Amino acid sequence: MSHDAATKKYAQNAASAIKDEILQKALNKIQSGLGKATALSYQNLDEGPDLRLAAHDIREKTINNLDVVLTRLAAKIRENGGRVYFARTGEQAVEYCLKIARQHHVKQVVKGKSMVTEEIRLNPAFEARGIEVNETDLGEYIIQLAGEKPSHIIAPAAHKTRQQVGRLFERKLGVPYTEDPPELTRIARKALREKFLTADMGISGCNLACAQTGHITVVSNEGNIRMATTLPKVHVAIMGMERVVPNLEDHDILFRLLSRGAAAQKLGGCVSYIGGPAGPEFPDGPEEFHLVILDNGRSRILADPKFREILCCIRCSACLNVCPVYGKIGGHAYDATYCGPIGAVLTPLMEGMNQAKDLCLGESLCGACQQACSVNIDLPRMLLELRYRLAYGDDQWETQPVSVAEKTIHQAWAFLAGHPALYRAFLRTFALGQKIFPTSRGMITKMPGPGAGWTRSRDIQPLSQTPFRKRFKKLNAKKAHG
Amino acid sequence: MQTNTTETQFIKTLRTALGIGQESAGARAAKIFTDPKDPSPEQAAIVKTIKSRRDKDHMALLHHLSREAVPLNLNVIPVKDKAQVSKAIANLVKETGPEWGAKKSVVQWDHPLVNALDLKTALKDQNVPVHTAAFDTTGMDDLTRSKARDRVRRQMIDSYIGVTSADFCLADTATLVMKSRPKEARAVSLLPSIHVAVIGKEQMLTNLKELYALLKYDPETREAELLPHHMTLISGPSKTADIELVMVHGAHGPRKLYLYVITG
Repeated sequence: MSHDAATKKYAQNAASAIKDEILQKALNKIQSGLGKATALSYQNLDEGPDLRLAAHDIREKTINNLDVVLTRLAAKIRENGGRVYFARTGEQAVEYCLKIARQHHVKQVVKGKSMVTEEIRLNPAFEARGIEVNETDLGEYIIQLAGEKPSHIIAPAAHKTRQQVGRLFERKLGVPYTEDPPELTRIARKALREKFLTADMGISGCNLACAQTGHITVVSNEGNIRMATTLPKVHVAIMGMERVVPNLEDHDILFRLLSRGAAAQKLGGCVSYIGGPAGPEFPDGPEEFHLVILDNGRSRILADPKFREILCCIRCSACLNVCPVYGKIGGHAYDATYCGPIGAVLTPLMEGMNQAKDLCLGESLCGACQQACSVNIDLPRMLLELRYRLAYGDDQWETQPVSVAEKTIHQAWAFLAGHPALYRAFLRTFALGQKIFPTSRGMITKMPGPGAGWTRSRDIQPLSQTPFRKRFKKLNAKKAHG
Repeated sequence: MQTNTTETQFIKTLRTALGIGQESAGARAAKIFTDPKDPSPEQAAIVKTIKSRRDKDHMALLHHLSREAVPLNLNVIPVKDKAQVSKAIANLVKETGPEWGAKKSVVQWDHPLVNALDLKTALKDQNVPVHTAAFDTTGMDDLTRSKARDRVRRQMIDSYIGVTSADFCLADTATLVMKSRPKEARAVSLLPSIHVAVIGKEQMLTNLKELYALLKYDPETREAELLPHHMTLISGPSKTADIELVMVHGAHGPRKLYLYVITG
């Protein structure tokens, strides 16, 4: 897609999302419910909300020593009989998973909810080889049946009404129509239980690994990830290389914040610590355990000191629940694996700044995301940094300057500001000239050329006929005389 | 695809990105990892507090647990002795029916506290079989072992009540902590529709911080490894809010969870 086409698509997606009443209601519910509850849950921490700052330090320390931390994690898991594969690219990770599937003649997979498998497009690769992949998180299951993509990191089907789910189940599962959430949940429970019991491979992500003990941890409230990592003979877990902490003490702090950031809970409902396969003396549990540690562009982010901080993210999705932009346009408008403020920073870094420029240009820089972030990441700073690179171009990131016109305008403005006589003449001319623009209630409603972008969705205040400079002088004169 | 080459290459890429060399790795590791044999004063104090708890402290934790359990839909039932638990389970079996299939059966761990409930006797007059999800693998060949695994799996699928104990219970989050052991099958607390857990009040801890301190810094709790190959934390029955954020219990795992705490 050309850059202009991408911009057009983002604007179109956003416009239709804003018109979608069902979506607006759902977004409102998420933000007024979860967003507020999470803020309160930070206040209620034993250590107080400043624990987020301590967590940021832990994350930074981990990322700055990622070589040492990952080496320890891999060594411990191998000691426990697990296999570890380091994948440089998403393709390599998918290939490895397919290789394991072939070795075990896998026909059916059950999956725990995982954003990283969305990132590497695992499902289509498996399906293309005739392997059935079943999402088992209720939200993901609904999305998979509907052939859509998640619209929220932890509430992927938040944009669907109970009536839509009811009709979907009626059509796809051949059950009588119902719009009762408990009944719909029971239908999915029954259908998926069959899958859990017959699947020959389980695939999960990783919420947070602990290097010292050599475990990944995965969380779900539904219990589906416990099912997917307990019942099939083989379990493959895929983790972004940054999703790790060194010690159990660090895990305690990060894990509690993850639960609060994600769902305003003190602790997720089901947590599994997995460090290897179940040995022959165990009556159940997978006989083989594989961990795939994925780079896929992350080391490039690591190498840039201005963006390294984004690797502190633990994907709790709290920033989505407060962002005024996400709150209006929803997850699909971002058209990327990761949406919301985190997606607006990550996507340009992973898929190209020029390709995904609208994501960071579209955010408001209000700072709500940093306040909500479970590890206090300075997202607004990185949004600005992205805009800077886009304005000036960056060879390291193969980024072309975005808008020559915008740059020229800024340069002209800088020149004017440095030459007072010219500046005054410009303002005088513009104050007269602006009279040709249509106005309503004292606001300009329509401007031509580059100004049209502004007035398409909002009005602009006209320049005052008496500039502040003049009024200030008058005021001063009054004061001197009075 | 040689794992070691890819790993070396991968780690090298990270070091280049970080602008640091391999030579500092040892020193950095020593700094970043805390030593289980050398607790910080804070961690040592946590372990000491746990160890010095008496009856009344455990009762206070149980009280705390009972409060926290309510919003999670976890039923905490303090009981005087094991006989009361057996009786309560017999009642539960009488009053409830299986979710899948028609025949009632119960599956349990091979665990001293669970065995002492003598559920076989307690459920005899109702004619409900009680399976123990365990087998002794000593001297078993692969085929026999695989058959034994299949049998145990079948029992866990068919049973509608699973009875377990737990290693610890965290009051603050109403969490059961279960380390995996050969006689304590994971799916007993997963496949049946109702999960019943039995613990003694002295197994109560306050929170995750205490659990980790104990696992890491207490020589009596610490095993050869800080954690076994698998451990589960369960805070209440399975739940979901994926349809219009409406809370529904029983998405995949047990729909009901009863925790009996023996106060002695």
